[in-house]
Amino acid sequence: MKNKMDNFKYNVSEALELPKDVVLDLPKIIITGNIGLNISNHKGIIEYTQEILRINSSIGIIKIWGSNMELKTILSEEIIVVGLIEKLEIIS
Amino acid sequence: MQVIKTWNYLRGYVIIRVEGLTLERFLNLAITSDIYLWDIKRVDYTVLEIKVTIEGFKALKEVVKRVGCRVELIDKKGVPFILYRLKHRKMLGFGIVIFLGLFIFLSSLIWSIEIIGNEEIKTGDIIKVLEKENIKSGIIKYNIDKDYMKHLLLDEFNNISFLSIETKGTKLIIEVKEQDLPPEKIDTDTPCNIVATKKGVIVKTIARCGNSVVHKGDVVKKGQTLITGVISDEYSEEYILVHAEGEVLAKTVYSYRLDEPIVKLIEEETGKVYERWELKIGKKGIQFFKGDIPFENYNETVREVKLFQNGIHLPFKILVHEYRELETKEIKQNIDFLKKSTHIKAVEKVNKQLSAKVQIESKDVKYYIEDGILSTYVVIEAIEDIGEKQIININ
Repeated sequence: MKNKMDNFKYNVSEALELPKDVVLDLPKIIITGNIGLNISNHKGIIEYTQEILRINSSIGIIKIWGSNMELKTILSEEIIVVGLIEKLEIIS
Repeated sequence: MQVIKTWNYLRGYVIIRVEGLTLERFLNLAITSDIYLWDIKRVDYTVLEIKVTIEGFKALKEVVKRVGCRVELIDKKGVPFILYRLKHRKMLGFGIVIFLGLFIFLSSLIWSIEIIGNEEIKTGDIIKVLEKENIKSGIIKYNIDKDYMKHLLLDEFNNISFLSIETKGTKLIIEVKEQDLPPEKIDTDTPCNIVATKKGVIVKTIARCGNSVVHKGDVVKKGQTLITGVISDEYSEEYILVHAEGEVLAKTVYSYRLDEPIVKLIEEETGKVYERWELKIGKKGIQFFKGDIPFENYNETVREVKLFQNGIHLPFKILVHEYRELETKEIKQNIDFLKKSTHIKAVEKVNKQLSAKVQIESKDVKYYIEDGILSTYVVIEAIEDIGEKQIININ
């Protein structure tokens, strides 16, 4: 049932050219080179150290490896990370 | 980003250190209770360093209770804390207020008056007129009534055609444009005589109105009446006063003598320069020098060293006195060449005395040599109108 609903939403957004992160409630990850990361529509932090960052989202856990990572801003909508980013993995 | 940082600084924020085991839970709870956190740094496995606003810090107490971690305040930053500190240092605040007050007060005074563009009118005269109205250095610039000042100066000096007054910083700048005064015209109803402006030999008199009292060949002195406006009869004592008018052409002589030694002493610079520095504050100066001037004959020039290119007015000046050594040389000049050059110079001098309406009759140049000095005489005879109107005083 849920799958059908998602399919419908996807088709609608495709037809009307609506941004999918809004319609399908997906996280939006913007990586600036390897020096910064911007995740909107997240669902909380699971783990944070200077080397590993795990963030919960609707598609699963986003895991980021890096060094000297710092959380520039945390808001209920958005997380801005600054630091050297080496690897990113989405565990769903 | 800088804007947000500045805004945070204005509102004030604290840096805190959070110690605990479930720090991620602490962050998530802070997010859900709408506390704005930034620059979060994991210093150690159990330690976080966080920046938070003052209101946020107060709201964090609830979160801390639920998570069970320790919060330590490291630093307070921003304007509210500075103000709080200033409350306990009243004299410092007082000093700042006095400084600002003095600054504003001193910069609202007129410190100097500058007058630009006056040629005929003396700067001192304008300043005197202004001083009478209590406009001088030391008054508050907002009290100056510029329109009144303009009227005052235009009334006082007839030959000002344009006047602009502006205050630039602590300077009052008066810009003046002068115009030439037209010669005073005598009304045609006023009785007048025509008198001679200089001595000369009369060539022709044309009296349009009034009686001519001089004849051709007469030698007249300066101020002598040429055409009189008093018309009288031999047989009666009655007389009529008229406005005399007419032209009196006379032959006048202009001469000039120029002496020039044939052996001439010329001073030449040897190229050796000696410098002295001077620091001038107001009218007093301090000279920095080592030893006396090492030359017997020298030329002194003073030049100012400007620290800033654009016209910033400093209360002191740095002057450099330059002394250039001079050497005197004797030069014997060619007489023929000298005659030519003195001739030209002398004629130039005579021409300066002549007015535009003069008609030149003859020119005579004579040379005399005496004691090694060449004297050049230039005599120019000219014909011109020497008449000038003069009002008759009836007593």
